[in-house]
Amino acid sequence: MRLTGVRRFHWARDVEEALSLLDAYHGRGALLAGGVDLGRSARTDLEGLIDIMGIGLSYVREEDGRLRIGTTTTLTEILEHPAARRYLHGALVEVLCRVAVPPLRNMATLGGAVVSAHPWADIPTALVALGAEARWEGEREEHALVEELYRQPFRAVFRRAVLTEIALPPWNGAFAFEKLSRSAGDIALLNAACGVGIQDGKIAWARVAVGATPARAERLTWLEEALQGEAPSDTLWRQVQEEVERRAKVGDDRRASAAWRRSVAGVVVRRAVARAAERAAR
Amino acid sequence: MAVSVAAKARDVVGQNVHKVDGPALVCGKPLFTLDMDVPGALVGKILHSPHAHAMIEAIDTSAAEAIPGVACILHFGNVPRIPHTTAGQGWPEPSPYDTVLFDRKVRYVGDRVAAVAATSEEAADEALRKIRVEYKVLPAVLSVDEALAPGAPVIHDEPDAEGIYDAQRNIAAAVDIPVGDVDRALAESPVTAEATCEIPYLQHTPIEPHCVIAYFDEDGRLVIRTSTQVPFHVRRIVARVLALPMSRIRVVKPRIGGGFGAKQEIILEPVAGALALRTGRPVRIAYTREEEFVASRTRHPMRVTVKLGAGRDGTLRAIDMEALSNTGAYGTHSLTVLSNVGSKTLPLYNKARHLRFHGKAVYTNLPVAGAYRGYGATQGYFALEVAMDILAEKLGLDPLELRQRNHIRVGETSPIFEKIGEGREGKAQIVRSCALPECLRIGAERIGWKRNRGRRRREGPWAYGVGMACAMQGSGITGIDMGAATIVMNEDGSFRLLVGATDLGTGSDTVLAQIAAEALGVSVDKVLVYSSDTDFTPFDVGAYASSTTYVSGLAVLKAAEDVRRQILDVAAAALEEAPEDLELSQGAVRSVRSGRAVTLADVGHRATYVVDQHQIAATASCVAPESPPPFAAFFCEVAVDTETGLVRVERFVAVADCGVAIHPKQAEGQLEGAVVQGIGHALYEEMLFSGRGRCVNPSFFDYKIPSALDVPEVEAILVPSEEPTGPFGAKSIAEVGINGPLPAISNAIYDAVGIRLTRAPFTPERVLSALRSRTG
Ligand SMILES: Cc1cc2nc3c(=O)[nH]c(=O)nc-3n(C[C@H](O)[C@H](O)[C@H](O)COP(=O)(O)OP(=O)(O)OC[C@H]3O[C@@H](n4cnc5c(N)ncnc54)[C@H](O)[C@@H]3O)c2cc1C
Repeated sequence: MRLTGVRRFHWARDVEEALSLLDAYHGRGALLAGGVDLGRSARTDLEGLIDIMGIGLSYVREEDGRLRIGTTTTLTEILEHPAARRYLHGALVEVLCRVAVPPLRNMATLGGAVVSAHPWADIPTALVALGAEARWEGEREEHALVEELYRQPFRAVFRRAVLTEIALPPWNGAFAFEKLSRSAGDIALLNAACGVGIQDGKIAWARVAVGATPARAERLTWLEEALQGEAPSDTLWRQVQEEVERRAKVGDDRRASAAWRRSVAGVVVRRAVARAAERAAR
Repeated sequence: MAVSVAAKARDVVGQNVHKVDGPALVCGKPLFTLDMDVPGALVGKILHSPHAHAMIEAIDTSAAEAIPGVACILHFGNVPRIPHTTAGQGWPEPSPYDTVLFDRKVRYVGDRVAAVAATSEEAADEALRKIRVEYKVLPAVLSVDEALAPGAPVIHDEPDAEGIYDAQRNIAAAVDIPVGDVDRALAESPVTAEATCEIPYLQHTPIEPHCVIAYFDEDGRLVIRTSTQVPFHVRRIVARVLALPMSRIRVVKPRIGGGFGAKQEIILEPVAGALALRTGRPVRIAYTREEEFVASRTRHPMRVTVKLGAGRDGTLRAIDMEALSNTGAYGTHSLTVLSNVGSKTLPLYNKARHLRFHGKAVYTNLPVAGAYRGYGATQGYFALEVAMDILAEKLGLDPLELRQRNHIRVGETSPIFEKIGEGREGKAQIVRSCALPECLRIGAERIGWKRNRGRRRREGPWAYGVGMACAMQGSGITGIDMGAATIVMNEDGSFRLLVGATDLGTGSDTVLAQIAAEALGVSVDKVLVYSSDTDFTPFDVGAYASSTTYVSGLAVLKAAEDVRRQILDVAAAALEEAPEDLELSQGAVRSVRSGRAVTLADVGHRATYVVDQHQIAATASCVAPESPPPFAAFFCEVAVDTETGLVRVERFVAVADCGVAIHPKQAEGQLEGAVVQGIGHALYEEMLFSGRGRCVNPSFFDYKIPSALDVPEVEAILVPSEEPTGPFGAKSIAEVGINGPLPAISNAIYDAVGIRLTRAPFTPERVLSALRSRTG
């Protein structure tokens, strides 16, 4: 039995109410979005659940080229939203349609995914690569790049704050996402999200994040720098593969060995970078 | 025994009628075991061992018993010790008596230590936490090789166990059956091939985990409502374990949410019964998914080695098959699954005159293996069919042709039928129906065998290949399995069909209704099926060994023919004509002489109320006269990502001969479902264990089975044959489909990239490492 300590259930009407309820529980309450993770949680200390699906954070908006997504938006809602589908020629959709299986995507929210931040998950990898920004409200309103957020003790932050929005910046270029998993609905054995901008036939900028290594996604900044100014070619991609295979930080878990991850890390990054470059050149 | 088959066209058999349980299932009616509330039922829960091998030094339940709501705690100290087997099989039971309800010794992580009954889930959980157990941890044996090593810890050292082959050496069962001189024949064969294939721990993963409610009826009899494939074996074994007269027990089997063999085991029923007896209150127990993985049953992990010897023309001369089976902590089904590895495979290639099947089933301190669709044949075919692929290559022969040259045909036999039975000798039989040649031809055509084989098509990093395999199974267990059916005519001309057979989702209730309806000249909706209840339905061994359509179906047919005779007698009196001149069809009895007719409602009414009043009814039984094998040919196309090792099954064609399919759609569903399950075995499934024997992936989050998103295009094709001994020409279909996917996929990977995958599942990691070691 999960969450056996829960005694009360609240439907918060807005962010403020969610926050005050959260505050009242002194750490023994939790925000409930889709419940995909919380429902599996073994926490027995939780006494109150605060449903935030009705606090007005289910939206997708396009603003100044940025894509702003409210954190209680479900993955299915995002997948079906025209603006989200348009974003970077479908780069976000490419990621989300590889997340879990449709029934889970109907429940899972973007905010829950960012806060849970499973090291094996795909969404953090994509958001880190895309330079996504997170906004939250606790004692005050704050924001940070998702990548930076993950360098802080972010779980503690969200014991007292509501993550309100994820904003994705525009990019003059293209992204591609790769995921290796056993079955279609399985979590990644390794994933990579890569972006490339092309100017005058050369790579103007590159973004590369690799996740499920089995650690949470990190950018390969050394590769991003090395790619700048290079002309896309098969030789370059081969070098990318070899270098990533040589330098990637990978480990063992029961799903895959470090040795296998090492040999395929180069492959997935090469595939993602090459596909992104191809798209960017179009 | 041959049953006469009416030569006329069939009205019901062979039609895709609505499933008799379809509407209730679709409407979400309360059908399943736990859909019924028994007021005041206690929640039963089980305390599982955290150790792979340990002695219980002391158990203190006082703190747990003090929890409000806790009614009873059972453990080795307060329950009689009665050795038994949990295998729901016929009599005499072929599995060793190496299990007691609660033992002082625990033999795997998940073994039963104690059981609690409490008024609430929470109280029961708390009680489990508060039972204090002192263990003396013993060295554990976590592989068959460790178990067989000299000086290995002895897992079953209890003096009261019976029927263990060699307890001191951890061998639960052993088989050695030679035919001819296999060593010499192998040595003298110009071409030989060998393969060793391994299958890991696999779980059945039925949608509905094991669950049971035990309560006392108004007469004080113990009623056990349980999700089981074997209600009558449940009654027999519970009676033994609880030392109750069988007549004091009634077992009710509601609709089952899947079993695949896992529910051919008597696991929770005696526990629930014991708790109910002790408390005098109803008790319900339901396994969680995690418990289903670690504390129900699994497929027997196995290493099978096949050596083949052939002449240069491809005619097989010798097959040596050796199986090393891991039965886990208890020997349920250990001997019979082991025997089936050989008995269901070797007859397929009966051109080989020299055969040997030998093997051992070994105890380990790991979860308990039991019956699982395919029942050893799946493990045997993996090695046999990979070895056949290797042999074909050595001979320079098309693998398809190698099969065509060697497979058994109508009118032929194999000495294995007689030599290996179910825990004892078998019975000689000849094959009376076999459409395998057609299956092979159609399958090869559908997959484009000639066109695609050996082409090594590439698309970027993806390499494509096709592979194939053949398989057979049986239909029931010859001379052992008995099924019975009762048909009672109602006064409105409808019928009640009472069967002990258990529909575990296979659709057997519908199939049996069709057989009755066909013989009684009515539509299926006039046959009300009731299965199964040991108080109301006649005996049936239950749903296993692919027996229901064949064995129980024959019983239904016999009963229906008897009832039909009785109907004709009543109609003859009503019409004042001779029964020989009457014909029963479409709900009426007609005279072929005068054309006069009475409806079945007239007949029912007359017999019930009017003249010569009596109940039109009959009970008939059938003991499997033979076990006619269904045959199948499997073809698939795979794609291998040569850079990552990922394997995708692109297409799968399974072509089977199950005789006359009584309900073709359901038969196709069985075939298709088995193929999907087989794809899971090939690509995803494996229970993993820590160094201390704890299963580390007991959930669907970690243990993957194929979902709709993973299933490729599966063509399930039935090629009819007419089995003369079967009901309306039918034989089985439930299991044969699981035997092909593993070898067919392995062979297809070889065709694509030239590596032999012999250890399931074929994970990206294993595939890539094989690819790398080949290229060096
Ligand atoms: C079987 C399975 C498969 C999965 N597969 C994938 C996959 O393939 N790829 C992938 O990327 N991910 C995958 N996931 C992860 C999935 O994306 C997340 O579990 C899901 O998005 C969580 O969202 P939720 O709304 O259900 O969160 P909840 O369970 O409701 O919440 C999760 C946590 O976040 C907190 N929280 C939620 N919303 C907020 C908020 N707005 N502000 C502050 N705190 C908040 C909650 O308090 C809780 O601690 C999988 C998960 C499961 C269970």
